[in-house]
Amino acid sequence: MFNKVLIANRGEIAVRIIRACRELGMQTVAVYSEADRQALHVRYADEAYLLGSSPSRESYLRGDKIIEIAQKSEARAIHPGYGFLAERADFAEACQEAGLAFIGPKPSSIAAMGDKAVARSTVARAGVQVVPGTEGEGSLRDEDLLSLAHGIGFPLLIKATAGGGGKGMREVSNLVEMPGLLASARREAEAAFGDGNVYLEKLLEGARHIEYQILADSHGNVIHLGERECSLQRRHQKLLEESPSPFIGDDQEIRQRMGQVAVRASQAVGYTNAGTIEFLVDKDKNFYFLEMNTRLQVEHPVTEIVTGVDIVKEQIRIARGRQMRYTQADIQMKGWGIECRINAEDPYNNFLPSTGRITHSLLPTGPGVRVDTGVYPGFEISPYYDSLISKLIVWGETRAEAVLRMRRALEEYKIVGVRTNVPFHQSLMDSHRFMGGQYDTRFVEERFSMGAAEEGKSTRPEIAAIIATLVAHQQTQRAAHIIQRNERDTSNWKWISRWERMQR
Amino acid sequence: MKYVTTIGEREFLVEIIDEHHLLVNGVAYVVDFDSLSDQPVFSLLLDGQSFESYVYTSEEGLQVLLHGNLYPATVEDEREKRLRAASGGRVAEREEFHLKAPMPGLVVSIPVQEGQHVEKGDVLVILESMKMQNELKSPRPGTVARLRIKNGDSVEQRQTLLSVV
Repeated sequence: MFNKVLIANRGEIAVRIIRACRELGMQTVAVYSEADRQALHVRYADEAYLLGSSPSRESYLRGDKIIEIAQKSEARAIHPGYGFLAERADFAEACQEAGLAFIGPKPSSIAAMGDKAVARSTVARAGVQVVPGTEGEGSLRDEDLLSLAHGIGFPLLIKATAGGGGKGMREVSNLVEMPGLLASARREAEAAFGDGNVYLEKLLEGARHIEYQILADSHGNVIHLGERECSLQRRHQKLLEESPSPFIGDDQEIRQRMGQVAVRASQAVGYTNAGTIEFLVDKDKNFYFLEMNTRLQVEHPVTEIVTGVDIVKEQIRIARGRQMRYTQADIQMKGWGIECRINAEDPYNNFLPSTGRITHSLLPTGPGVRVDTGVYPGFEISPYYDSLISKLIVWGETRAEAVLRMRRALEEYKIVGVRTNVPFHQSLMDSHRFMGGQYDTRFVEERFSMGAAEEGKSTRPEIAAIIATLVAHQQTQRAAHIIQRNERDTSNWKWISRWERMQR
Repeated sequence: MKYVTTIGEREFLVEIIDEHHLLVNGVAYVVDFDSLSDQPVFSLLLDGQSFESYVYTSEEGLQVLLHGNLYPATVEDEREKRLRAASGGRVAEREEFHLKAPMPGLVVSIPVQEGQHVEKGDVLVILESMKMQNELKSPRPGTVARLRIKNGDSVEQRQTLLSVV
């Protein structure tokens, strides 16, 4: 049994895992790249060791070094978080061989589910319905994929077999554009996962993306913690998640049926630890297995906030060989949880990533609000890693209360130094379709704009004009009379007006 | 001091009388205005109503983020306004466009060649940053000129990559 955990990750998820370890009285070991010397996970952990230079390939993807550090620091377990090495069967296996507990599923389950193409054929054999595609064909070359595309029909999706998070994914509407898209998908997959293999899947239109959180221990117990609605995506990147799903709503029958299928799909690969079964659900509530994520998910907090289960602690408990603290009957969803992913992206400029130093940050607090973040004022957002800087999660007794609370929390949240997508989430909270729970995976790209004119949202151009004028006025005055900082004790305005009087 | 401030299509005549008084299109307001902890976050108390806003300075002017709305703003004093009127307005549409890297990153693809004609919206460069591939598009039709990068180059933020003339 282990008492010291190495966290093979960075950012908010490393902080999240350190918190769980702390509460369980466990020692924590952080690893970091050169760019992350000042990161929060390094500051919070009991021990921290340098992995290498800033690019992931030379730091957070260096499984060999991470295992070496675990042995040197006598950590007996490794938590991989999400991304990086979390879904690499070879890494999980290397941990086992080195005598380290891998806080996640068995290497064989990762291999079976991690290769998305193999996963689809495995669960299909267990009687779970899958989205039509090139399942069970193994790794295919471009020529094979091009010839199979016809049988599946357009539009279709190219997906990375090692994939997740929308990376290496491309939408194809005809055969002509397919070779180019295959090349770029492979390139992106190779860069993100070190594996350029892809497969094809039919694109279901107007579908919703709904997933089930699974927990399984090594004593044969498998339970689900209800669903998460993840349909709000842009370029296949999730932006907002909620639990329960407004689409499933009060339909307990389908909720249970999907939960049972999710449990069965996990059992098909002898799954242990935390995992997620993703489904696509069409308008008529037909659901298809999409893939299994054999790791902790970014959006796990919305499930935690409605079920009260601490998923990370449960993961550690399971990895220590104990039984879960819960049976299926213990799991009740109470109220409503919503999570907004706060990314360093400019919603007014095509969501381009924004880098720079965070100069100021004021976090929302108060009733029903949780923030998971890995940044703080003074921290530099580098171009090396993904753009997630924090997750804002709220709980409400009803969905309406949760939406209003999220709106309040977003207004309180101030991050200065980089552009963020907070205004995007604010517009979303004001959107009638979102309020009504009427959205599918295409909503953001096809029916949503940042324009305030949409849906008659109130604007205050005259207030903006006053603010802009006062700022410009200050700048002009400052430029005309450069003075040393801290030389005077009164405000600029007082100083300026005194100066103006003096000149008369 | 008198300013003409444009928000989108609308113009506001703002006259700053003193530290606490101003006129907007002739209507008087009592104001208190302060930046918070030396950051570009500003608090405005306007006749007792409290507003908070971020203000970004960009090449095109100021951007005011208020209640989840972004207002692009230009502020001109009367002299500037007269000068601009004399010079005959803006020429932006005809000007050369210099594509600058919006963030540091790695050039993964350049689907255009020097001398090639491009339409508005055509992809000029694919730049990888934060593990995402970002398509940088042309804001105007024209001819690609002065290509300063090649595949695999690392570029700095605001580095000029190429021009469209």
